[in-house]
This record gives sequence, structure tokens and C-alpha cells, in this order.
Amino acid sequence: MAKKDIKKALKDFWYGKPHSAEEGGRRLGDLHEEKTHLYKHREWRGVKDTMYYFYMIWLYNYIFMVKDVMVMGGLVNFAKGVWRYRWVGQTYLPVLHWFDRGLEGMRGPALAGSAWHYRAMVSTTIRQFQRMFAADTRLHGGKQNDLYKHTIAHNETVWGGVFYPWDGEITNVPLEMIPYFVTCHVNSHTVLNYIDAVQSIGLPGDPCPMCQAESGIFVLDDVPDYAKAVVTCNEACDASVSTSTLQDWFFDKPLFSLPMPMLVEDQYGIPFSWEKLVKKLELQNQLQRFEWEKWEVAGKSDYYPINGVAQALYRIYQTQYGDWEIWHVTDKKVRKILEKCVSKKINTFPQTRHRVIAWSCAPLYYSNWCTWAYNCWGLNVIINMDSLMFDMEIRTDSYEHTLEDMAQYHMWAPMRRMAVGGMKHMFELWEYMERFNCDMVAMYDQLQCKGVQGLHGLFEDEFRNRNVKAFWIPHALPDSRTVSRAEIRRLINDYMTTVMHEEPLDPSLLDFDDSMTW
Amino acid sequence: MCKFGKFLLKLLGVALVLNVGLFLVFFFDLDGKLLFNVVEPFLKNHYDNMERKDTLKAPYDIDKFPKYDYNS
Repeated sequence: MAKKDIKKALKDFWYGKPHSAEEGGRRLGDLHEEKTHLYKHREWRGVKDTMYYFYMIWLYNYIFMVKDVMVMGGLVNFAKGVWRYRWVGQTYLPVLHWFDRGLEGMRGPALAGSAWHYRAMVSTTIRQFQRMFAADTRLHGGKQNDLYKHTIAHNETVWGGVFYPWDGEITNVPLEMIPYFVTCHVNSHTVLNYIDAVQSIGLPGDPCPMCQAESGIFVLDDVPDYAKAVVTCNEACDASVSTSTLQDWFFDKPLFSLPMPMLVEDQYGIPFSWEKLVKKLELQNQLQRFEWEKWEVAGKSDYYPINGVAQALYRIYQTQYGDWEIWHVTDKKVRKILEKCVSKKINTFPQTRHRVIAWSCAPLYYSNWCTWAYNCWGLNVIINMDSLMFDMEIRTDSYEHTLEDMAQYHMWAPMRRMAVGGMKHMFELWEYMERFNCDMVAMYDQLQCKGVQGLHGLFEDEFRNRNVKAFWIPHALPDSRTVSRAEIRRLINDYMTTVMHEEPLDPSLLDFDDSMTW
Repeated sequence: MCKFGKFLLKLLGVALVLNVGLFLVFFFDLDGKLLFNVVEPFLKNHYDNMERKDTLKAPYDIDKFPKYDYNS
């Protein structure tokens, strides 16, 4: 081996291979097996980052997942739940591979910052399903235990903050967030069982597949019986109202449609506490203020250490679920990383060619497309629509102001604001493009959402009139069979070659078969 | 060497072997291969063959619970 080659091999070992093909690139596509997309071996990111990934992400998360399970409900409840419910056993055991997909190719602060966001989501997910199992009458011989009597179920689009006045006395656990929504990101196969189940009883295939899946879980009798009552709300579309009707039938519980939080007093006999509400809202406002700081850095510099998928998922999870301790712990860790990046002027995504804003609802089965897009093309997704929905603090100076802001916040829930919330909100895209200094739009096209479909042509016109570079990502939210991941990549590849006339940074990622992957 | 020293050496040895073993599992994605090829097919088979309640046979008692009075 020539001296030059030895030197390069040593450099690659110490620092990891360089990103781009011109520099003798790392060829991330070669690391995977065909179809299953399992790793032949995980990526060597250089000594420091590989060890960080091994100890602080892979090992740390395995250890803390076990700890979380033990502390929040215990191993016995967990084992019973895994044995009883498909959505937990099939989905959450390979959760570390969800990290792999989202964090592939990341280095330094971008790797660390993004991983902490994932860790918080994992912990909150465990908290919820463990509470479900601990209170579940099906896992406890039909007995309604004390936890059952102090748990309330609700649609995932009912903001968790509605229950702040009963903090510490009643635990709210969304019905669909863990059995449906998060599963699609972690293991895209699980949800297909539920979509097929609801269609098997005669539902046509064209309504929103999210609503189909949420109903299908009930059709397959795969929902824990963990709460005395359930609160629903519409998700701004007719399909979700139908979901609530099916839930009312199959869940067979007192069901309340928002807005009416006072039902908690009636059903649980626990009074509304203004002090608790204010305390929790203030804590939530702290999270919002840090998010604004993050946006400032993301919009005005190249030092933002969170990748597109971690930003999107963490933010929507945190804002919709409501205040919880782990968000504060995570934000503290991320603040340190963020401040280091800013003070040392660390360019966290050095191969960025385009700063992208992602708009409308993302494909749940391919939320990590932006990690691929950065690795392959240098498309850096700076911000996305879901992150921006709750762009507000909630006033606590008077009862009237608080209720007014809570109503506003709740009204801006996922899908109610920007997806089907009217043209004004949809077209806020232009303002946010400027605010985040983006030069390209990734426009999601949920093929089974009639609301957003109606705006497709308007966006086409606006993109042309404003001379905005934009590509479309068609998808069917959780259903990976309608538009596959490979098809999404092909569409972006086509845009980047035929319209932008650019060469890929990593050609090994252009075309690969991951049809069987989680 | 004193007993404590030997114990420390043993402890270091065990920690080293454990670290190397875990690193091999991590690097060659042995956890992923086990979960994909063994654990998931086993669990899927279990879930596919589970007896489930026919939820469609449950009556839809829309009047089962008292009507909630919004003004109370």
C-alpha cells in the first residue's frame, strides 16, 4: 500500500470518510443489505462520533429504555402488553433502528443534538404505553384499578394542555398517538394491519388513511381499556368525525366532544385547579421560548444542530402532548450544544446546497426522507410546517386571556391550522421561507386528503409566479403501499437532475431497494 | 499483587470483554438482524393467530350514557 493510501486510511479511520464523492466519499448506500435495508455493518463515523453513537445513543438508549419501562409501570406490565398488543410488540422493539434511519450520516453536534430529541420521544412513548398497560382492565383480569380511575383517554389531536388543571391527579393518555401515530415512523408495517381491518368491514379505500388506521385498531380489538372516559375532537376533517363515531361504538365509554374540559370534574370528581393550570402553562411557555431561540439560530445561521426529521417529530410531539419533564431535560442538553455551535461558529451541515422548508403533512412512513436528501443531495430541511403550528405563548395574567389563548392554541392543532385551516395559513409558507432563509420548498401532497388536494393548483401557480424552486412529495400519510419510499426518492432525484442539473453528493444513495425495511 | 489489585484487574477485564462484545453487536447490527429475522416474525405469527373479539357484534348503545349537559 502506498504511503498516500495509508495516510488516507488513517485519516478516514480517525475522522470518518468524507461526505462527497469528489473527496472519495463514504458511500452510505453500500452499508445496507438489499430489501431489508439492515446494516451489513453500521457506519464508521470516525473514532469520536462512532464512540458517541455507540455509548451515548445506542447503549444509552437501550439502558434507559429498560429503566423507563421498570420505573413507569414495570417489566411485568410491559411483557403482558407486548404479548397482547401488536402495535407495541411489532413496532417498538426495533426502535434503535428508527434512530439509525434518522441519524444516518450525521456528525458532531448535529448527531448529538438530533439524538437527544429522539431520546425524549422514546421516553415519552414508554411513559404513555406503560400507563395504558398499568391501567388496562384486559391485562388485570377485568379489574378497574386505581390507575384506571385516574386516567383519561383522548384523541391525539386534543392538546394535552387541556388537562393541566388536574396535573398530578389525572393522567391523560392519547388514544392514537402511541398505538398509531408513532408506530408509522418506527415500523411502517404495523399500521397496515389496521388499515386493512377497517376496509375489510366495508370502508372504501379512499378516506384519509390516518382515520382508517385509527378506526382499524378498534376493529381489530387492539386498544387497551385504560380509562374511565374519552374526550374527542374533530381533526378538521369529515373522516376524523367518522373515526370518533366508530370509537364511540367500539370503546363503549362516556364520550365527550371538545370544547368542554369541565367534564373531568363530573367524571372523576376532581376539581379544576387554576394554580396548576398556570404553573403548567408557564412551564410550557418556557419550552416555547427556547424553541424561538432555536428558530433564530436556524433561520439566521448555519450553526443549527438539529436535523430535519428530529426537528419535525420532536416539536410536533412536544407541542401536542403538552408539558412534561423530559422536554425540559432535553432542551437543557440541546441548549448547551446549540450555544457551543454558535459560539464556535460550527457549520453543522457543511454540505448544504439548498436550505429547504418542508410544507404540509409529511409521509409518516418516511419522515426521515430529509436525512436521505441531505446525505444524497445536500438538501438541508431547516424547518417544516408541523414545527410552526403553535407559534405562540399562552398568557396567564387573567382567566379570560388564558382561556382565549388556550382555545387559540387548541385550534392550531395538527391539521387544523395549516393543512386544512384555509388559504391564509397554507400561504404563510412565503413568510416562513423568508424568516428561515430558505431557497427551496419540499411540498408534501397527501393524496387522500381532500382538503389539501384542493390547494394543489394554487400552489403550482404561486411557485411559478414567485419563481420558487419546489418539488412535490406525494404520499398517503401512514400507508407506504400507495407511494413507496423508493418512489419518493425517484421523484426528488428527477427534480435534482432534470430541473436543478446537479450531481449527487453520494451516488450510492440514488437508487436502492429498501422495500422490506421497517 | 494484593487481592484488591487482582479483583480490580478482573473487573477491568470483564468490562473490556463486555465493551468489545457489545461493540461487535452494535457495529454488525446483530440486534437489528435478531429483531428482524427472529423476534418480529415470531411475534407477528402470535398476533396473526390471536383470538380476537368480533367488535362488530358489540351493540352501539348510543343512549347508554346520560346526555351531558353543557351548561351544568
